[in-house]
Amino acid sequence: MRLTISREKLQEALVAVSAAVPSKTTLPVLGNLLLETTDRGVRISGTDLDISVSMEVAADVETGGGITVPARKLSEIVRELPPSPVKLSAMGEQRIVLECGKSKFKLLGLPKDEFPAFPSVDFKSAWRVKSGQLQQLISHTAFAVSVEESRPILNGVLWEVREDTLRMVATNGHRLAKMEQPFEGGTKADFIIPPKALEQVRKLFPADEELEIARGENHLAFRSPFVSVYTRLIEGPYPPYDQVIPRDNDRLATIDKAELLSALKRMSVVASDQTHRVKLSFNSAILKFSVQTPDLGEGQDEIPVRYEGDPMDIGFNGVYLLEILRYMPTEQIRFTLKHPERAATIEPEAWADSGKYMCLVMPLRLVD
Amino acid sequence: MPRIAILSSTVADQIAAGEVVERPASVVKELVENALDAGATSIEIEVEDGGRGVIRVIDDGSGMESDDAQLALARHATSKIREASDLVGVSSYGFRGEALPAIASVSRLEVLTSIRDGEGAVVRSNGGVQEPLTPASRRRGTTVSVAQLFFNTPARRKFLRSARSEWRAIADTVVTMSLTRRDVRFRVTSDGREALQLPPAATLRDRVAAIWGADYADRFVDVDGVAGPIHVRGLAERPADAGTASRRVFVVVNGRPIRDLGIARAVETAYRSTLPHGVRPSFILELVVPVDEVDVNVHPAKAEVRFTNRWGTERAVEQVVQRALGTSDATPWIGKAWAPGVASVASPEIHLPPMPSPAPMAEGLFADASPAPVATGTVPEPMAEEPVAVPDLVQLRRTYMMYEHDEGVILIDQHSAHERVLYERFMGDMARGSSPSQRLLFAETIHLDPQDADAFESAADVFSRLGYEIESFGGHTLLVHAVPTPHPRFDAIRCLRESLAALSGGRSASTHARHEHLAATVACKAAVKAGDLLSRPEMEALFRALARCTLAAHDVHGRSTIVRVSWDELERRFGRR
Repeated sequence: MRLTISREKLQEALVAVSAAVPSKTTLPVLGNLLLETTDRGVRISGTDLDISVSMEVAADVETGGGITVPARKLSEIVRELPPSPVKLSAMGEQRIVLECGKSKFKLLGLPKDEFPAFPSVDFKSAWRVKSGQLQQLISHTAFAVSVEESRPILNGVLWEVREDTLRMVATNGHRLAKMEQPFEGGTKADFIIPPKALEQVRKLFPADEELEIARGENHLAFRSPFVSVYTRLIEGPYPPYDQVIPRDNDRLATIDKAELLSALKRMSVVASDQTHRVKLSFNSAILKFSVQTPDLGEGQDEIPVRYEGDPMDIGFNGVYLLEILRYMPTEQIRFTLKHPERAATIEPEAWADSGKYMCLVMPLRLVD
Repeated sequence: MPRIAILSSTVADQIAAGEVVERPASVVKELVENALDAGATSIEIEVEDGGRGVIRVIDDGSGMESDDAQLALARHATSKIREASDLVGVSSYGFRGEALPAIASVSRLEVLTSIRDGEGAVVRSNGGVQEPLTPASRRRGTTVSVAQLFFNTPARRKFLRSARSEWRAIADTVVTMSLTRRDVRFRVTSDGREALQLPPAATLRDRVAAIWGADYADRFVDVDGVAGPIHVRGLAERPADAGTASRRVFVVVNGRPIRDLGIARAVETAYRSTLPHGVRPSFILELVVPVDEVDVNVHPAKAEVRFTNRWGTERAVEQVVQRALGTSDATPWIGKAWAPGVASVASPEIHLPPMPSPAPMAEGLFADASPAPVATGTVPEPMAEEPVAVPDLVQLRRTYMMYEHDEGVILIDQHSAHERVLYERFMGDMARGSSPSQRLLFAETIHLDPQDADAFESAADVFSRLGYEIESFGGHTLLVHAVPTPHPRFDAIRCLRESLAALSGGRSASTHARHEHLAATVACKAAVKAGDLLSRPEMEALFRALARCTLAAHDVHGRSTIVRVSWDELERRFGRR
């Protein structure tokens, strides 16, 4: 293998692919990147066995071939190189020489056969999705996944493809985020995807690109002409989230998001480090906040609100509310409630987008 | 038909002797007490054949006039009280005037006494029959010799044990007295061989070191504190050392050694949750109680006292001991202090992180469950509400947190520490009656085997106090609707399962014990484990929480949470010393 590539191109590919390289691994080759020549240039790939990312960049290929190179070292070297063409030449199966201007490095790699093969995915039956639409879905839901190891299902984002909709749902059992986007020509399919893979999908594909998506046996692949992301799917039935979304919440509040955010941030200062408990009291025109934390202190606040329904007190984990508000796309939000022990929902008010967005949060029991 | 007749005084004395003089050790106790009451500064005790031959107590006290010496052998003759009202707050060891006549009635007794060097007198008595007084010469003080104890009461004599075991009882008696009166020199010989030689000691620790060795004295933490009107001081064994040597318990009330199960129980309560099950600590405690709150005239040998406010007294003991154990001094050292045993009186209190006093807990249904509520009128701890300064913490092996301190390197076991933090929080939550609980979007269904279901049955109320909302769904199926959220890594369902598994089988009797057991079990299951990578903010939060704990130095199983390696130890290992 022998090729010349611009430093910028190489750098771009390394940054994109390195994200998939695990920081610690028992399998040494996973700490390496796979470099392979193609018709168009060179393809660089990294994997942690769950998620694999590869990017193809233009290069002048003299001799074809492939080799694996330590990911971290190569990235560090390329980052510091002067902006001149970089010459990469493999010497045998395990050594690569990198030359750029007067700089010259020899790195020890591993034979390319040791690099795990990408999962086989047949793109013949692939469907196409606009990258921007996926980005929208991912960025509004993935934050809500669980990080507990005990229920692996909840560690993933549920992606439901329907004839006319794309829907993503994520929850940790305490709160849930759900977004729908209109879609044409879908066939019904459900996937549970690790959020880390979705994060790669969101970052690596430009918004206006159209992606090909295809399913392998236990994998899902996202592909654009130059970049591909493969991810393992999480198996199992996703909990029946639709059944727990309340339809009969009859107390409605319309609140200014900025005001709610800043009041909650103030309350969080004195809320317990463990439970982040904040009490909300809804009244016809005023939303009152109060926090009481044993051993620390207390706080009160209030903001104006448009509220329909009987007055009600309800407790929440303030962190959950703050997080949800951060993703709410409108200035006004709609809060719906039923009972201090039942789920509350938060939705954007007067959202111009064609999609639908809803977050749900379970209350914390109040102790007074 | 037998007629009722008044007993002769000799017989009456012999009966009294049955209560006061049980065995040679009780003779030693009475005679040493007399010597102490006479103001002796040096007491020698000579024992032959385990006290069955001769017991001789030689003091340098005030001595007696020859007339008094004769009278001393008469019943109810005492120099210590005059009227019944003197009994309240009597401060001398003896006062009933029973001991000497009782001993005299069952032995061959000789009292050699002198109030001035040179001129003295000898009184002899043979089974209670006094012989005429003869002048003799002696230095100031008194020598009492008791020979052939029980020679005239064969029944009693038959019950004497072997010389060895009688001697052991005598030694115990002298040790007890010597712990009480550290200002007095004691010397004990058995069959001519010196068994104990105790110079006057400045502190209890010094005396303990003189009796059992400096290593032994090092096992103890200083206890010194006031709770209400009661002053408690002495030594309590470090929890980590408890159970590794034979247990010794000494309680002294107003200078009088006593046996008291209630106080022993109070001390054990203070150790609660720092000791493994079944291990009981050694301690030596001196209580100073207002004289009108304690009645010493309950027991002929004065081995027991009666407290007017027993509950208050036990609480005081518990609080003071618990406070002492909470100080970092109770942390086991890897390296011993450089000069053990001879610690100066004002040994510097080493507060490793400033350990603030615990925040007063709400007095609720389970007020006694709250860890160490600070009683009103207690000495405020100097570091009270200061914020905790967090040192630079490093995580080792994903198991320990380490930092540097003036005294050495300090290691904290992350699991043990977190367990302790959660335990105290859970106990507080239970005392308050409820804790915050997060409702679940998807109720979790748990299937239990019969034992676990039983365990749940018996602890359901306590789980709900901890923040679980659980519906029993017929048979052995539980539906969990809401869970506590003590920390972000908390896995509520797993914790519930593991706790139930741990609880099944064992069942504690009292509500309090049940709560404790449950809090300890849940804390253990809920705490971060060894192997969990902690971020810096997490370590800092844990450190801060630990510093606020009442018994920071020990986890709920009695293991250490904190280990210190002193600079001395390190320097010695590196050959710098």
